[in-house]
Amino acid sequence: MAKNGLRGLLRALGRATGSVGGHTGGMVVLLWRIGEATMRGRVSLREVVSQAYFIGVKSIPLVCVTGLLSGLVTSQQGGYQFTGSVPLYVLGSVVTSSVILELGPVMTAFVLIGRVGARITAELGTMKVSEQIDALYSLGRDPVPVLAAPRLIAGIFSTPLLVGMANTVGLFAGLVAARATMGLGPESFLYGARLFWHNWDLLYSLSKGLAFGFIIPLISCHMGFRTGGGAEGVGRATTSSVVIMIIAVLVLDALFPPLFLN
Amino acid sequence: MIEYRDIHKAYDAPVLSGVSLRVDPGECISIVGPSGTGKSVLLKTTNGLLRPDQGDVFIEGESVFGSGRRTLERIRRKVGYVFQYAALFDSMSVYENVCHGLPEEEARRRSPEVLRRVCEALEDVNLEPAQILNDLPAKLSGGMRKRVGLARAIVGRPRIVLYDEPVTGLDPVNSAVVSLLITEIQERLKVTSVVVTHDIEQALGISQRISLLDRGKLRFVGTPGEFRESQDPVVRAFANRQAAADMAVKIMEEP
Repeated sequence: MAKNGLRGLLRALGRATGSVGGHTGGMVVLLWRIGEATMRGRVSLREVVSQAYFIGVKSIPLVCVTGLLSGLVTSQQGGYQFTGSVPLYVLGSVVTSSVILELGPVMTAFVLIGRVGARITAELGTMKVSEQIDALYSLGRDPVPVLAAPRLIAGIFSTPLLVGMANTVGLFAGLVAARATMGLGPESFLYGARLFWHNWDLLYSLSKGLAFGFIIPLISCHMGFRTGGGAEGVGRATTSSVVIMIIAVLVLDALFPPLFLN
Repeated sequence: MIEYRDIHKAYDAPVLSGVSLRVDPGECISIVGPSGTGKSVLLKTTNGLLRPDQGDVFIEGESVFGSGRRTLERIRRKVGYVFQYAALFDSMSVYENVCHGLPEEEARRRSPEVLRRVCEALEDVNLEPAQILNDLPAKLSGGMRKRVGLARAIVGRPRIVLYDEPVTGLDPVNSAVVSLLITEIQERLKVTSVVVTHDIEQALGISQRISLLDRGKLRFVGTPGEFRESQDPVVRAFANRQAAADMAVKIMEEP
């Protein structure tokens, strides 16, 4: 019984390793082909701008709402914990660090996974199962420069800007919440924020945005191109894509502190 | 000219087992056969959409699977492909869809010449460009979508046109329209055509030769007249409704 269980576990582990290897290999090849197409000038600037509009501009409202709520909640919960034990101006530092180092980039990434990543996988997956990708091939067009490259380039440029926006809105919301609920004036809040501020933090935050803006379109395009099996296959691919994107964002997020904060 | 040499393809089970066929320039050949016998698989090997496990396809003497990506893209531009459900790009207008059939550099220019060629291709398939040019595919009927797919396939003036089930899902009138268009395009553009179809009447009406694919092998290749007169029971089942009914009864009675 125990032997069977162990064998099953090893088999599952082998399958998972094979699957991770397959996806990683597929993404490396896709990335190589995107790089090659970009270098050869085969990517339409018009399409990049159109994707940047969809990924960047159209995500602004949702990114602002999540930034706003992150700042509000952090400020209120921090204030609740600090009241009576730590000088309240420290709240400015806590909110700034939390929003800029973590909440701004990660919440923006989650918004983009749901709004952009899932849509890209579903869109490309539908194109795959309805033979539109085959149609591109049959017309002598490579789908990588036409479909994948503009989405990746737009993601790389748009996401750091969205992270910057989420940070700004989050800090402002934190400042307002500190004033409204704790009675902490903006001068004290900003004094606290400056006290532990490093310019590097902003670069760190935007770099996270860059990494997330790279990995989300890459995974979603890869999963879209691999879709098969009709409408059910599109659903399955989209779900898997969202799961992989969430894990990838959290792993990348966990890699940032040991790599860049030491 | 198209030459299929010893094509083998298997998924879970063998689909094509050594298909060899030569299609002469300017000829229209139909490939018929029971469902699941690999007709569409064979068609998709023609321009490299599917790679066979063994064998090769030659388009005007050039190997499809022995060439690099650039050569393959060049070969593909010689071959127009009409998909079963048209496979129009959902997010693009009719104009942009048809534009994709032109060489990339030309399509990007969006010049009056490009517009003229797109309109000409739509007129070739009996569509009125002014009425549909800016429409999205979702606004078109099934028959119109098929015809836009055909316009996209011929706008680049290919030497070969491949049709995958061109009348599937169409009513009898639209089926007849598509069959007439295939014949018209064949004659006017002097293209070589390969038509995969279930509709035997259509195949008999438009083709110079008919081939029957059965269990991954070519069972019959000949003229429509030879097809009608063949004594092979599988061919007879396709050529004659009574023979098909008799064969169906036999299949149902098998344990």
